[in-house]
Amino acid sequence: MARARVEEQPVATGATLVVAVGLGVTFLLFIAFLNVVKSGNLLTDSNLLYAALIFYSGAGTLYLGFGITGTPAYIRFASLATWAGLIANTGAVAHRWYEAGHPPFASIYEMLLMFVWTLAVLTLIAEQKFKVKVIGTVTMPLAIVGVVLMQLLRTDVRPLVPALQSTWLHVHVTLAMLAYAACALSFALAMMFLIQDRMKTETFLAATSLFSAATYVGVLTRFEKWGGLSVAAWNPEEKSEAFLSKGVRLFVVIPDLGWMLLLVLAAVAAPLVLYVVWRKTQDQGLLDMANRVVFLSILLQVLALVFFVLRARDGHYASLDADGLFPTTLAASPFILSGLVGAIFVSLLYLLLLWRREDLERMLPSADELDRITYKTIAIAFPLLTLMIAAGAYWANRTWGSYWSWDPKETWAAITWLVYAGYLHMRISRGWRGRRAAYFAILGFGVVMFTFFGVTYLLPGLHAYA
Amino acid sequence: MAASVPRKICQTFANIKTGVVLLILVVILSAAGTLILQRPVTDPDEIERAYSPQVLHLLDGLGLTDVFHAWWFVLLLSLVSLSIIAASVQRFPNAWRFFARPYKSPDKTFRKALPNQKLISINNEDEEAAVSVAERILQKAGFRPERIVREKSFSLFGERNRFSEMAVYIVHASLLLVFLGSNIDALLGWRGFVTLTRGQQSSEVKPQNGSPRHLPFAVRCDGAGQENYADGTPKRWWSDLAIIKDGQVVLRKQIVVNDPLIYAGVRFYQASYGKTGKIDKLVLTATPRDGHAHQEIAIGLDETIPLDSDTRVRLAEFIPDYVVSDGQVYARSNELENPAAHLVVESRKSGQTINVWLPPIPGFEQNASSPYAFEGKDVQMAYFTGLEVSHEPGQWSVWAGVVLMGIGLAVVFYFVHTRVWVVPERDARGQLQLWIGGTANKNKDAFEQRFRDLVEKIESELKISVEAGAEASAAVLTGR
Repeated sequence: MARARVEEQPVATGATLVVAVGLGVTFLLFIAFLNVVKSGNLLTDSNLLYAALIFYSGAGTLYLGFGITGTPAYIRFASLATWAGLIANTGAVAHRWYEAGHPPFASIYEMLLMFVWTLAVLTLIAEQKFKVKVIGTVTMPLAIVGVVLMQLLRTDVRPLVPALQSTWLHVHVTLAMLAYAACALSFALAMMFLIQDRMKTETFLAATSLFSAATYVGVLTRFEKWGGLSVAAWNPEEKSEAFLSKGVRLFVVIPDLGWMLLLVLAAVAAPLVLYVVWRKTQDQGLLDMANRVVFLSILLQVLALVFFVLRARDGHYASLDADGLFPTTLAASPFILSGLVGAIFVSLLYLLLLWRREDLERMLPSADELDRITYKTIAIAFPLLTLMIAAGAYWANRTWGSYWSWDPKETWAAITWLVYAGYLHMRISRGWRGRRAAYFAILGFGVVMFTFFGVTYLLPGLHAYA
Repeated sequence: MAASVPRKICQTFANIKTGVVLLILVVILSAAGTLILQRPVTDPDEIERAYSPQVLHLLDGLGLTDVFHAWWFVLLLSLVSLSIIAASVQRFPNAWRFFARPYKSPDKTFRKALPNQKLISINNEDEEAAVSVAERILQKAGFRPERIVREKSFSLFGERNRFSEMAVYIVHASLLLVFLGSNIDALLGWRGFVTLTRGQQSSEVKPQNGSPRHLPFAVRCDGAGQENYADGTPKRWWSDLAIIKDGQVVLRKQIVVNDPLIYAGVRFYQASYGKTGKIDKLVLTATPRDGHAHQEIAIGLDETIPLDSDTRVRLAEFIPDYVVSDGQVYARSNELENPAAHLVVESRKSGQTINVWLPPIPGFEQNASSPYAFEGKDVQMAYFTGLEVSHEPGQWSVWAGVVLMGIGLAVVFYFVHTRVWVVPERDARGQLQLWIGGTANKNKDAFEQRFRDLVEKIESELKISVEAGAEASAAVLTGR
């Protein structure tokens, strides 16, 4: 042990970060504890969730630290923090279950709670069973985003409407969460495969820039004249969006935010432009510049996020459609928020890759192994998806008298199923391995995310509760 | 040449590329079906608000406003089914040969190409003993080895989970079962709606569009209700239903959401519950002007009740929420907000009728001339229960397909067909060797480890038995 320490010394033991994270976690827990003492209510699901958030954040920092420096000590503490977070998360699930009197699967808030829980469990399994240690670098930030999103959604326990009072609902949702978490894992593994498969760092640069630019373009579809950005108006009492008339949402305009986001769009899109020019001219200087722009764009993105959070939180703004000032909150725009956070996170991951690629390659399992594990997680996800759809169809048949009604959620679940069926056929019959299979796995997860979030928020239908 | 055309078509459909192109088309079109507002579910007004008339005309013309019922979508799904059938038909014979006639005695070239193999030299010349050792270990590992006897020697063949080779056909067949079921439902199934109030019966089901459908039996509602949570949101809706055939009640059941009544393949689902805006019973006291004792009556709409030998009363109108405007009485809503009742009091002898309004509405009421004074005590409103009715004769095929698919997928992914061969042979110097080879149809890395363990076990067992054999023969020698 002592000898090992001597040998490690030039590499740095990583004590500083561990101590810093430890102090940070302790400090935040202490602050939270003070608040709890003041309110006199210790064990509520929001308190437990807050504790989970603190631990997951600690774990995420340590996993990132491990990703950047490769110090083994980080992983030990990161797992420990993940365990602590998981315990708090389990407590939150149990409390919610007890309080609601039914398993927590009835609203998007409760589903996210379960999703984060499953993600933490799978991270620990992947780390301890498959020895994929850096997986926490991807999954923990996802968990953090999930918990933060949960703070914004309506949390009150609502009684189950008659259609949801069914055992089949629990079967259906449990299967869905397991399947989606397995898909998330296969996505992370496919990304790691691409790194191990010596995919060029420039390609990741282009992909990162494309993703961020697409996100900002999506957000900026709500750009209004005079440089404002329109967001949904929100009724704080009912914790729901305000409606102008039946089916017509009321939007308010946050001034100047549009200009700000337009500037950031230019910054995140610039690396893509530079990449395209580099493809033509092969001038290495362009790539260096692009990497510097990524760094700059992260600073700008954080600034935009802070600006958005400050302006959208409990503000009152004018609307183009009605007279007077209307309130809005962060919860009114979960998509904008998760888009902004997601883009920052993806850019950070790119920086990690740019600076520490060799360390990452050393720490990850071999490309072949990652390819195999990706396939195995999909081999788990696919039967779960099938059963999830079947349980949902059976439940719908008992409730609405029809097992399949081409509702958007149903249709997108079927599309997800088809995409993974395509993956399996290409892999088994056509021998698709490696990169093409990895692209397919990434595409599959994109469709899963759209089915889970996109359909709920963008497309109307029977599946309104989640 | 002519004969090869159907063959070519079959081959095209069997091609996995065709299958994938078809699947991509299904994905794109169904995605379009979720992004474009769809006809039967969306209000016509809403669609007209969302799209300009030209665009809407184009979308309607292409069938894109009802993708999932358009002929080309049905055609596409049929092509997918055809592709699955063609692919299965083309591959099945080979797979079946492989399944039905396992490859038991491997030849030289096969043995050379096998990735997992091992040669074990045997010092002892007893071929049978060595093979028996391997046989015992394979038996213990669950391979159920069988002896393949050749002219002079015999070899071993053992395998596990051979059925997993056929599972993929089960999965494809199950998908066809699901398609078959949904096609049967699309052709023979129907859906509709029945609205009943308490005591009412009906044998007519109204579909979303088209003429009503007559059932060979009637359904009667004996009661319906709603229970609420403390915050007023609905917790439970229920209806007591009775099925009446040839004047006889043949089935009774209380249905709730998630628990339908099924009779002769027709399912009745609790779908909605609400006020009809009509009255069930109005409870009144009628006090005669001549000082006799008052009586209490419960009267329904258009019901006539005698009050004495001469006078009778009829409930002509009931308005739950009335408003008077321009000399007319109007109903403002179906809520019981501001009720008004119109009673007609008749005298049999004189044939005279008197209009009584509760409350008295000036200009309409003749309350003062009525021989009875009425006072409203209670209003029992009529509630309707909305029943979704469906007939899905194909659903059993769908569920059978789903169950089969679950089993098939479990076998496809989690049951590995593994085979092991043990063949005694002699090397160039005539030394006896045991050749052991194995293969798995998936999860090959896990099998590699398993194969190594198996070989190791056989090797160590062989050594022990050789030593034991040597000792035994030595004992025999010295014993002499």
